[in-house]
Amino acid sequence: MKPEADQILNVSADQLMAAAMGGIDDAYGKGTAAIHALLMKFVAREYERGAEIRAAENRDMRAAFAELAPLVRDESLRTALEAAAARREDSLSISALNAANVEQRRLLISLHAHLEEVGAREGEQRIWKLLRTLAARRAVSLF
Amino acid sequence: MSEELSQRLTVYLRGKLAAPDLSVHDLSRIPGGASRETYRLRASFTKDGAAIERKLILRRDPPASLIETERSVEFRAYQAFHALGFPVPEPIALETESAALERPFFIMSEIEDAQAVSVLAPDPYGAHRESVGRAFWSILGRIAAADPKELGLADFDGAKAVEACWSHEVARWEKVIEEDELEPQPIARAALRWLKRHPPPPAQKIALVHGDYRSGNFLIDGQGRIRAILDWEMAHLGDPLEDLGWALDPLWAHHDVSRPGGMLPRADAIAVWEKASGLKADPKALLWWEIFASLKGCAIWISAAREYASGSNPDPVNAFSGWYCLAFHNMILADRLGSRA
Repeated sequence: MKPEADQILNVSADQLMAAAMGGIDDAYGKGTAAIHALLMKFVAREYERGAEIRAAENRDMRAAFAELAPLVRDESLRTALEAAAARREDSLSISALNAANVEQRRLLISLHAHLEEVGAREGEQRIWKLLRTLAARRAVSLF
Repeated sequence: MSEELSQRLTVYLRGKLAAPDLSVHDLSRIPGGASRETYRLRASFTKDGAAIERKLILRRDPPASLIETERSVEFRAYQAFHALGFPVPEPIALETESAALERPFFIMSEIEDAQAVSVLAPDPYGAHRESVGRAFWSILGRIAAADPKELGLADFDGAKAVEACWSHEVARWEKVIEEDELEPQPIARAALRWLKRHPPPPAQKIALVHGDYRSGNFLIDGQGRIRAILDWEMAHLGDPLEDLGWALDPLWAHHDVSRPGGMLPRADAIAVWEKASGLKADPKALLWWEIFASLKGCAIWISAAREYASGSNPDPVNAFSGWYCLAFHNMILADRLGSRA
């Protein structure tokens, strides 16, 4: 089995960090190399989890749309929510998942603002629960 | 590049310091954030027969900046607070035109034998954290107590009326999000709506707000003394609680939210600030400004992400900000606002 992309990135990041600490004289070069190494660590993790995060996020938003659409008084928004809720991923490429994610995030913002306007407290709480889940899933650990 | 910059600096400083034999040496770039290129240099010359060496810092605009700021704002803030004896570098020269060094810049004295800590470092102040904390929160209180008119900074951007401080800042950062977001931001948008629906009480006064007062933006020496407060480029007029809320933000807590900035316990930090400023940190108002701080953070990180993604400023700090810092502040806002829904 060949090395996976995340392994290559992690090993390269460690080597870059070692070089930054030992072999680079100037402070700016050292600091910049260290940040590059840290970014490579982030990207290595994203290689493993990126598609899963996006697919789960899109799935969770669609579930919320299906659940909350009946509370929506605006007909065009309700129709858009029902249509989005019925959609499924047709590709697991990051770019395709991102495209769907952008559309759904836009819809989520409209839904949240609408529920606030009409005073649908339970709906608002449901959205905040979803937002906390999304934020936790996207959180980036330094360690 | 360094050789050419060194030559240009030599020509500039010979005129500026009236020193025809001046030479620039040991020019090197040092870390200083993504909003300005920062260089350390030495300028040697003779004056009245005496050999002089000045240790200087050059802050030059990058091709594109993390947040569009006027370098004159930072320079004038240094001038005003240096004159009052605050720990800031001595400002030397400001150039708003591009002729001398291709881009606008300013030069200030170097603070020797002192350094800034990384915001990622756990417990960076160690045995000095209590004394550093008292100085840190006290200096912020003294900045809040200063009168912008007496500082000569009353023309700075910002709110002119105590009732308008919050709305002025919300509008400013909402515009940044509008212009720079690469993807819809449901948490930042919800935070903006919350901030508008729950305005804070009017400010106790119009103060000079530093705009980025936090752990990591000051220099300390080996004895734990604060030698210089840095990065005044976002200084403006506004509610003094804005700076307090920003400095208290969990992002700067060095992984210990019970000690904002990694220094004093929160209640002690606020007490020191209140004593030094002569102002009150009303909990409800402060909560608003803390939530605003996290929203402002989101806006800055969104802007950084755009700079990197567009290629206009590929400094890796911008990628880090758009990745780690934005996710961090989204989490803080979701927790704080979600628990209030």
